[in-house]
Amino acid sequence: MDFQSCVNIKKEWDIVGARQLGRDIAKKIGFGTVDQARIATAISELARNIYLYAGTGKVCFEAIEDINERGLRIVAMDEGPGIRDVSQVMEDGFSTSGGLGAGLPGVKRLMDDFDVISRQGEGTEVRVVKWLR
Amino acid sequence: MSTLKMDLSSYKDLLKQYIETQNEQALYRAEQFSKHSIQQNISPDEIVDVHVQALSELYPDIPDNIMNSMNFLLETMISYGLAYQEYQALREKQYELQSEISVAANMQDTLLSTTKPNLEGLDIGVTSHPAKQMSGDYYHFVQDQKGSVGIAVADVIGKGIPAALCMSMIKYSMDSFPDEQMYPSSILEGMNWVVERNVDPSMFITMFYGLYDQASNHFYYSSAGHEPGFYYSAKNDEFSEIEAKGLVLGVDRSATYKQYETLVETGDMIVLLTDGVTECRAGERFIERDEISDVIHQYKHLPAQEITEQVYQHFERLQDFQLRDDFTMVIIRRDV
Amino acid sequence: MNLNINVDDNEKLKTVTLSGEIDAYTAPKLKETLLPLTQEDQAVVKVDLEGVSYMDSTGLGVFISALKSTKEYDSQLTLVKMNDRVYRLFEITGLTEIIDIETDSTVRGGM
Repeated sequence: MDFQSCVNIKKEWDIVGARQLGRDIAKKIGFGTVDQARIATAISELARNIYLYAGTGKVCFEAIEDINERGLRIVAMDEGPGIRDVSQVMEDGFSTSGGLGAGLPGVKRLMDDFDVISRQGEGTEVRVVKWLR
Repeated sequence: MSTLKMDLSSYKDLLKQYIETQNEQALYRAEQFSKHSIQQNISPDEIVDVHVQALSELYPDIPDNIMNSMNFLLETMISYGLAYQEYQALREKQYELQSEISVAANMQDTLLSTTKPNLEGLDIGVTSHPAKQMSGDYYHFVQDQKGSVGIAVADVIGKGIPAALCMSMIKYSMDSFPDEQMYPSSILEGMNWVVERNVDPSMFITMFYGLYDQASNHFYYSSAGHEPGFYYSAKNDEFSEIEAKGLVLGVDRSATYKQYETLVETGDMIVLLTDGVTECRAGERFIERDEISDVIHQYKHLPAQEITEQVYQHFERLQDFQLRDDFTMVIIRRDV
Repeated sequence: MNLNINVDDNEKLKTVTLSGEIDAYTAPKLKETLLPLTQEDQAVVKVDLEGVSYMDSTGLGVFISALKSTKEYDSQLTLVKMNDRVYRLFEITGLTEIIDIETDSTVRGGM
């Protein structure tokens, strides 16, 4: 249905822009208030990771419509230094953004599907999906 | 989520009851509701959501600004929900670690098990308690055909798992010595060599080794920087420190250990311990060594095993039942 | 349960002044500060323990690894002004024989 739309992340303020666009699309797909808030929080985490560790990158949104299911796919990509040890970053308690962020484990909890591909020196791509229930 | 949706109507009823009556019964049921929700792993943001829905069903004319404020509250709760889930996951992980450690502690017990010799005329007692699940204290008895008893007491720096791992090394090296009468100085020299080659530079072990020769009632001993024990002379009814000089194991490969010798008379006691005994703290105060000998003196009429247990109980109580370091005490008394 | 570490990194003499308690919690911090100093070629390092009220065996471990590094780097380590309780630990463990310890009777006195 919707064509893929992206928000470039260069400054902290862009996080808000990404949240806004993501929430609008989520609302259109039919997500309720709680899920909208969760999606927005996940977008914050993903965009903040780009802003803090890669400097620049983008967050893209795509409405998915299968025969059986509808949902929202979010892809966050950057060309930053990459994550050296993904398993370690995915561990609870190994929080990144100054101890206060929910980090990637938080994003995984907020969404339904989660995947991360990272190459050192090349960048990171995080792909997540929230399904409408 | 589905269970909560089913609960929406009951939450709505509860809320309605409370708003109309403001009685304690409704509040008590609210408490029950939250406990039930916690059991179902329901996060705070979902509770706020249910509240918002119940509110809008009860009062369809509720002003927009109030409803918006509710959504604002929900947004602020999302991160709390995440923190709560993380806490749950970490708690599970902690249980996992805990059970792994118990398995390891059992293995250690089996590994380090030693049989207290049962000899005519020699009363031996021993008590050993780890501060955490795994111990950095070691004690071991060796008995030979001629009636001599070898006693090793060792303490690894630090406590818990790292100390316990190091302890296994001592156990295996001690096992490599022959069971026949071995003199304390040569045992410590051999151990020092093993430890020096196998541990991190900041790691070290203190060890006391004694050999009681029943034929002559002589006690031979050497110490590698170990906390001095006590010697109780029955004739003088007096405690003195067992003085033995020697460097801790693992620092200098060429260290040698002086061997001492003493004649043990009837009723005399040899008390060996680890520094968990002398490093006991009662509040901010350290326990003086005299206090330990005083407690032993108080129970000296009891069998050796009971004395060690009484001393342990005494200092456990002084430390509010929270040991700060592993505690080991061995008492050997010549009865006849 | 705190340890203050103050380093006076003079070219000829490095003085480390400690105050507080050296135990399993504070020993890593001490190790981090002390080892790089004794690992400098021919460095002369003096550690002042006057303000140390308590030390356990983990603290001894730090000084032992510092001592071992002095042999490797031909540096020197001297411990000064420790109270009786701390001195006793060095004495029991036989370390007074191999670590350079300057005792000051006015500080140590009164057993």
